[in-house]
Amino acid sequence: MTETIASRADVIVLGGGPAGMCAASAAARAGSDSLLIDENSQGGGQVYRAPPAAFAETSPGAFGPDHAIGASLRLALADSGARTAFGCRAWSVSRDVGGAGFRVDVCDDNGLKAWRAPALVVATGATERVLPFPGWTLPGVHGLAAATVMLKAQKLLPGERVAVAGCGPLLLAVAAGIAKAGGKVAGVIDLASVSDWLRVLPGALSRPDLLARGAAWVAGIAAAGTPYLRRHAVTAALGDDRVSAIALSPVAADGTVDRASQPLRIDCDALVIGHGLVPNCDVTRILGATHRYAPADGGWIAVRDGDMRTSIPGLYMAGDGGGISGAAAAALQGELAGLAAARDLGALAAQRHLDLAAPLRRRLGRAMRFGRAMAGLMVERPGLVASIPAETPVCRCEDVTRAEIDQAVAEGAREVNQVKAWTRCGMGPCQGRMCGDTVAAVVARLVGGRSAAGAFTARVPLRPVPTAQLIGSFDYADIPIPRPAPL
Amino acid sequence: MSRRIEKGVQRPPPVTILVDGRLVPAFPGESVATALLAAGYVAFRKSPRAGKPRGPFCMIGSCQECLIRVGEVPVPACQATVREGLEVTLGGTQ
Amino acid sequence: MTTVLDVAVVGAGINGATAALFLARGGMRVALLDRGQICRQASGVNAGTLTMQMTRRALIPFALEAHAMWASAAEWLGHDVGVVVCDGLSLAFTDGEAQLLSERVAARREAGAPIDLVDGKRAQAIEPGVSDKVLLAGHCKVDGYANAYLTGLAFRRALEREGVAIMENRPVTGADRAQGAWALLTPEGTIRAKRVVLAGGVWLEDMASWFGCAIPIKVLINQLAVTERMPVAMRTVLGIASGLLSLKQYPHGTVVIGGGWQGLGDRVAGPRAVIPENLVGNVRLACHAVPALERSRIVRAWLGLEAETADALPAVGALPGVEDVAMVGSIHSGYTSGLSIARHFARWLLGAPLHPGIAAFDPARLVVRPGAR
Ligand SMILES: Cc1cc2nc3c(=O)[nH]c(=O)nc-3n(C[C@H](O)[C@H](O)[C@H](O)COP(=O)(O)OP(=O)(O)OC[C@H]3O[C@@H](n4cnc5c(N)ncnc54)[C@H](O)[C@@H]3O)c2cc1C
Repeated sequence: MTETIASRADVIVLGGGPAGMCAASAAARAGSDSLLIDENSQGGGQVYRAPPAAFAETSPGAFGPDHAIGASLRLALADSGARTAFGCRAWSVSRDVGGAGFRVDVCDDNGLKAWRAPALVVATGATERVLPFPGWTLPGVHGLAAATVMLKAQKLLPGERVAVAGCGPLLLAVAAGIAKAGGKVAGVIDLASVSDWLRVLPGALSRPDLLARGAAWVAGIAAAGTPYLRRHAVTAALGDDRVSAIALSPVAADGTVDRASQPLRIDCDALVIGHGLVPNCDVTRILGATHRYAPADGGWIAVRDGDMRTSIPGLYMAGDGGGISGAAAAALQGELAGLAAARDLGALAAQRHLDLAAPLRRRLGRAMRFGRAMAGLMVERPGLVASIPAETPVCRCEDVTRAEIDQAVAEGAREVNQVKAWTRCGMGPCQGRMCGDTVAAVVARLVGGRSAAGAFTARVPLRPVPTAQLIGSFDYADIPIPRPAPL
Repeated sequence: MSRRIEKGVQRPPPVTILVDGRLVPAFPGESVATALLAAGYVAFRKSPRAGKPRGPFCMIGSCQECLIRVGEVPVPACQATVREGLEVTLGGTQ
Repeated sequence: MTTVLDVAVVGAGINGATAALFLARGGMRVALLDRGQICRQASGVNAGTLTMQMTRRALIPFALEAHAMWASAAEWLGHDVGVVVCDGLSLAFTDGEAQLLSERVAARREAGAPIDLVDGKRAQAIEPGVSDKVLLAGHCKVDGYANAYLTGLAFRRALEREGVAIMENRPVTGADRAQGAWALLTPEGTIRAKRVVLAGGVWLEDMASWFGCAIPIKVLINQLAVTERMPVAMRTVLGIASGLLSLKQYPHGTVVIGGGWQGLGDRVAGPRAVIPENLVGNVRLACHAVPALERSRIVRAWLGLEAETADALPAVGALPGVEDVAMVGSIHSGYTSGLSIARHFARWLLGAPLHPGIAAFDPARLVVRPGAR
C-alpha cells in the first residue's frame, strides 16, 4: 500500500523559473532549508527552458544567450545547497491543518508525497493570453510561448512557413529565432504600431543591452525581406484539418478590427500567436491571499509588499505570477522573496537582511522599468476582445462559443463562475486555465468591469492528475472510510 | 525539409516509439509532441463537443490539447518524454 | 413607504427557489433574496444524486415524490436540469458492509423505497462497469442524477416567468418588525414583506438569530471530484453501504466522485481546502468500485457546505414564538428531497394543512435558547 510520505523544509519554492531558482538559492544561502519543486526535469522555467540533458551544443554558446543565463542560474542553485524536486507535479497546495504554514502535495511515478513548510514562495510565472479568432483551434496554430519552447528546448521549427503574430517582445524574439534556426517566417503581424513601440522606448532604455538585442531582431526581419505588418491582427486561420493560410486586417489602437477594409492573406503551414502574458496566481488564490485586478500588470495579481510578502504570513509571490515584469525582475524578486522568507523564519538577522536586500532593490527598480515597458505592449486590448466573432469557440476544451457566453449573461449570469455553470465554459481538462482571462474580459464588457465579472474559482488539482498516480496501490481494508452516515 | 533544427545541436542517437502501432523515429529526451510533429502528425485528437481536430497548442502542459495515452495513462504529449519503445495512442481520452 | 410583499424568501438554494416558485404560483407576490447568486452554494455544487439509497429513512416518502418531480422537471419547471433516470446500486465489498447494507435496505424498504438485495454477479449484470469484488448490492430502479450546476439557470427562468423578484447579491443582515410587517435589512435598503421564509442552508443558524432564536446547525464540508471526459465506464448511480461513495457518469463523459468525505472550511469563511488524504481515499474507493476509473484523470476537486441539525432531520416550519417567519432546510440529501419538502412547505404557507410527515420536522424541537422577539 502506498501512503503519502510526509517531509519538511523551511522554505518551499513552487516553480523553477528565474524567480523560483533565485528564491530557493537565496533562502538556502541565508541558512534556510529550502526546497524547489518543478514539474520539469531541470530549472529554467519558460524563459530559460533548457534542451533535454541528452542534447549537446555543437559549440559553446550555440544554444544562445538565454541558455547561458539559465545555465548560470542552475549552477548557482546547485551551489546554494537548496534541495530540488524536479519532474515532480505539485497537485495540491493548502494551509497545513493544525500546524502553521503550508502543505504541498506532489505526485510522480514514485507515488504521493506531502511537503510541509512554514514558508512558501510561489513562483509559478505567467500563462499566455491568446484571444480567440476563427480557426484558432486548428492544428498548426500555437501560442508564441509554445514557439519559444519548440525553438529553445525542443529544437523544433513550428512549421516550414511560419506566420508570427500578436504583440510584445516575444513576437520579435520568436520571428528572429525561427530565422536564426534556418526556418522561414511568412510574415510578422504586430498589433502595435511604430509609435506604440516608441512610447515604451524610455522605459526600455534602462536595459540598453536588451534594447540592442531587440533592434537586431527587427533589423534581421527587415533584411530577410519578411513582410512586417504593424497595427494588424489575424482575423482567421484558414484550412480544413490544419492551418494553410491566415487572414489579416488592420486594427485600431485598442485592437478593434477594421472589418471594412479588404483582408490580406498570407499562406503558411503554422501560425504562432500570442497577445501578452497573464500572471498565474492559481496557488495564491487557492490559499486565499488578497488579489487585485491590475491591467498594467497583466491581470489579477496577489497584493504584496516590497519583499514579495503576500497578505498571508509566510506566503510570498515572486516573478511574473505577481505581475508581468520580465525575467531579470523575476530573478531579483525571487532573491528578495528567498531572503525575506529566511529573515521571517529567523535564519537571517534583520540588519543582514537589509544589507543584502538594498542593492537588489536598486537593481530591481531598473529591471522593472524595462519589464514594465515591455508589459505595456502586452496589455489586454479591449477592442480585440470586442472583435471576437459570435461563433468563435472561446473555451477550447468544451467548444463554448462567444455567443453562448453572451447568451448566459443575457439570461442573468452576472459573473464568470455562473457563466461557467450554465455553459460548461472552463469545465474541460484545462479547467479554464486557457480561456479564463478571455471569458472574464468578455463578461466584464457586459456586467460593468473586471471586478464584477470576477475570475474562475481556482481549485486543486493544479494540473489534471492521472487517477492511477493519485491512488497508487492500496488495500481496500486500509482505505480510511469514514463512519457511516446516520440512517 | 525536416522541422527539427539541426544548427548548433547535437542529438543522441535516435530511438523508435510506437504510435498507434506504427514505428516513429524520435530522439530520447525530446517530448512526444515534438516527435509526433516532426513525424508529420498534426492532429492528435478531436475535440469532444464539436469533433474538431486538435494538436499541440501551448507546449507547456496547460491546454491539454495534445492529450494522448502513454500505455493506459492519459498525458499531454508535450509533457511525455521520449524513450525507446514508448507506446503511444492518439485520440485523447474519448 | 415602500411596497409590502406577501413573502420574502431569504436564500436562493433549492429550498428557497422551490418555495418561492410555488408561492408565486399560488398567487403571492414574492421576492427571493440571496447574498450571492441563485443556486451557487450547496444547490449548485452538489453531486446531483437523486437516490433512495443514501436517503434518511424518514425522508424516503419525500425523496420518492421528489424523484418524480425531478424526472418531470421539463414539464413543471420548464428545464430538464440534465436529469437522467437510471438504476442505482449500493455496494458491499466486505461481510461487515453486507451486514450494514442488509439492515439499511430493509429499513428503507419499510419506508417505501423499492430496493432489492442482489448478489455480486447480478450487480455486474446490472452494471458491467462494477468490479468483481462486490459481495452484495442494493438495487433500486428509482435512481438517477441531475446536473446540479444547471439548477440556477433552470430556476431563474422559471421564477422570472412567475414574476418572482430575484434579488441577487443582496445579503440580508437582520430584520425589524414595523407596522405589522417585517423589514429585512440589506446594504441596499430594506425589503418589506408580510411574511419571511428563511432558506439559508448552513446559514440558517445565523438567520434564526436575527429573530432571537438559537438553532444550532452543524456544517459538513463535503468534497467532490470530477474526472475529465472518458469513454463509457458506467451507466448507473453507484454508492456503498456506508453511504460514503457516490458515482455517476454524465452523458458527456465526466464522472463525479463524491460521498461526503470531508474537507476544510466553515460557515464564515466558506469552503477552505480539499484534504488531500480524503480525496485520495474517496478516489481509491471509487476505483475499487469501478476499475475503469483508473484510466482517467481527476481535473477538479471542490467543496460544498451541507447543513445538519442536532438530530440530522430537517428544520421545516414556523420559527417558534416569531410571528410570520418560517424556515425550510437542513434536509439530508436535500437536493433530492428539497423539491418535494419545499413544495409542501409552500402549500402550507398558502393555507393548506401541514403534511403530517413534515410536522415532525418542526424547528421548535431544535431551539436551544428560546428568546424570540
Ligand atoms: C458537496 C455536496 C454534495 C451533495 N450531494 C448531494 C447529492 O448528491 N444529492 C442530494 O440530494 N443532496 C446532496 N447534497 C445536499 C444538498 O446539496 C443540500 O441539501 C441542498 O442543496 C441544500 O439546499 P438549501 O437551499 O437548503 O441551501 P443552499 O443551496 O446552501 O442555499 C442557501 C442560500 O442562502 C444564501 N444565504 C446565506 N446567508 C444569506 C444572507 N445573509 N442573506 C441572503 N442570502 C443568504 C446562500 O448564499 C445560499 O445561496 C450535497 C451537498 C453538498 C455540499
